Amino acid sequence: MVIGIPRALLYWKQPYFWETFFENLGFEILISPPTNKEIVENGVKSSDPETCFSNKVYWGHLLWLDGKCDYIFIPRLKTNAGKLEYCPKFFGVPDLAKILVKNKILTETFDERKENLEKTLEKLGKKLNKNREEVKKATENSFLKQKEIQKRREEDFFKKIQSLKQKFILISHPYNLEDEYVNLRMKEKLEKLGAEVIFIDEVPIRKETKNRIQDGWPKFHWEFGKEIMEKINAVLDFNIAGAIEISSFQCGCDAVLKEFIEKEFKSRKIPFLYLIIDEHTGEAGFQTRLEAFMDTLK
Amino acid sequence: MTKIQNSKPVVTFARWGNYTIAFKTIFEQLGVEVIPPEKTNSQTIAEGASLSPEMFCFPLKVTLGNYLPALKKGANTVFMVQNVGGSCRQRYYGAIQEKVLKEAGHQINFLDFRATPKDVYSKVREISGASLWQIMKAARFFFRRLALIEKIEKLGQYYRPREIEKGETDRIIQWGFSKLEELKKEEDFPKLRREILKKIAEIKIDKNKSLPRVALIGEIYTVCDPDINFKIEEKLGREEIEVHREMDITYQLKKLIFPWKDWIIQRKINPYLRSTVGGHGRDAIYEMLHYIEENFDGIIHLLPMGCMPEVTVRPILERIHQKSGMPFLSLSLDEQVAEAGIDTRLEAFIDVVRNHYKNKNKFRTAKS
Repeated sequence: MVIGIPRALLYWKQPYFWETFFENLGFEILISPPTNKEIVENGVKSSDPETCFSNKVYWGHLLWLDGKCDYIFIPRLKTNAGKLEYCPKFFGVPDLAKILVKNKILTETFDERKENLEKTLEKLGKKLNKNREEVKKATENSFLKQKEIQKRREEDFFKKIQSLKQKFILISHPYNLEDEYVNLRMKEKLEKLGAEVIFIDEVPIRKETKNRIQDGWPKFHWEFGKEIMEKINAVLDFNIAGAIEISSFQCGCDAVLKEFIEKEFKSRKIPFLYLIIDEHTGEAGFQTRLEAFMDTLK
Repeated sequence: MTKIQNSKPVVTFARWGNYTIAFKTIFEQLGVEVIPPEKTNSQTIAEGASLSPEMFCFPLKVTLGNYLPALKKGANTVFMVQNVGGSCRQRYYGAIQEKVLKEAGHQINFLDFRATPKDVYSKVREISGASLWQIMKAARFFFRRLALIEKIEKLGQYYRPREIEKGETDRIIQWGFSKLEELKKEEDFPKLRREILKKIAEIKIDKNKSLPRVALIGEIYTVCDPDINFKIEEKLGREEIEVHREMDITYQLKKLIFPWKDWIIQRKINPYLRSTVGGHGRDAIYEMLHYIEENFDGIIHLLPMGCMPEVTVRPILERIHQKSGMPFLSLSLDEQVAEAGIDTRLEAFIDVVRNHYKNKNKFRTAKS
């Protein structure tokens, strides 16, 4: 049996976790290819015109997978382990996918306010006729894999922070940072201009920074809101030359977040650049803005 | 700018269509000085939009624009409710508006309260120092007015398409609202209520007229505020279409008090959506299914541009529309939408509704 996973949006929330999980259960995995022009165009055509760009890309990936596998796996992410909510657009994704594709869809609600992750995964395993032991082993392996990646990233971070180049922090959601087509190869562009690029995801949150008193932002009920603000707080301890935030067009959550992220950097006099990406963004325009931003720092 | 620490609080609050009159009563009854927010017009919208974050949803920009003239007149305290819908951006309206206003140089006291009786009570107490008895009394007057306003709105929906002299209903309703706003003594309220209802009942109408019916669904603020949705109810009424709308403050309050309303909604929409999406996303699907069962002739979906819950459910609404053949129009509103554009789309939609109504009746007579 082949399980398809779209390489967009929800995939980047827990990269490699789902692959490892299903592979360990003995299924074949089909992941859609990295985003390309055709996928984006298909997604834009088939989605609601006012939904965010990241969602449009996701629909493109779904359409690519349609008909190529037995099941497409689309989790319904509601709350995480910290009992904080995901973006409300994630809540409806499996239902909207049912309208869009003809393929069968495999879904499970992940709501840790009601049920912990292990139990939900067990239920998911039951749908695939796998017993508790098998699921448990697969879950453990997936967590190990995730931890390993996390560790490598942190090591990376400390290597980067020691670099003598100007250090830039890229702030966005993982599905914008990791997808090279979507963010127009931002990392590569910045590196060519002589910068060291740090993703906000790579920043480790330490206890000291987490317990610092916060009054610059409201108490977020979104998991990414809290996480990003805490990580910004942690990274401010290091010498950062500038910050760049990337938002997908019509991202409702970023409209809130941006205000407080900007305030945080501006109050410390760190240059801040805000970029919006969508299907019409041109690479030349981005290049000019990045170059101008780098010039202001010299 | 004046210092606010020592001065008396002068309150202004978020405007919401005709219900603003009822909100004003609460503060007046508590003996707090209140400057009501400016009526929404193109200038307040433009001013609000110029201050607020570009990508934020429309109601934030509108309410912000309404505060500004009141703040100029001397208000120093802003009241804003948070978390009306659930997990949407409305939760951060207060935080963002406070930040934006303070950055623009206004020295204000921003009161951001959750829509729970306990929080409302403590905030009101903080600002006015009123006793529990006074607050209860103010709440009673608030609900009395709210009930009357909602009743007038509902009557308007019925009388407008049936009136013989065009425009009479709107004239009387406008008169009624202005009288209600001017009302000073609470003892005069029952008399005024009788007077308004009597005047409305005296409107000459054609009772036996059979009319096409259209329902308004969608985001609560845009559906309820006639200044935001370009008076869509009046326009449809004048075209001899009966408008129905379930969304109002009473509906929202009922949902807060009786949680099982949510369960009923969820059970009905299970084939389409198996989760909440924040705001009133589920309600829109529920209402659409309900109005299809009631054999309506058209559904208009109103939302602020980019509203997260409504945008999420819109593909589902369109799916239901395709399956059932019910005429459906979705209008996104923001500061850049022009009235002429909305009018053109409405006119076209009205033609579709009339056709649907005619064909439906033809089919019915042929069958019988």
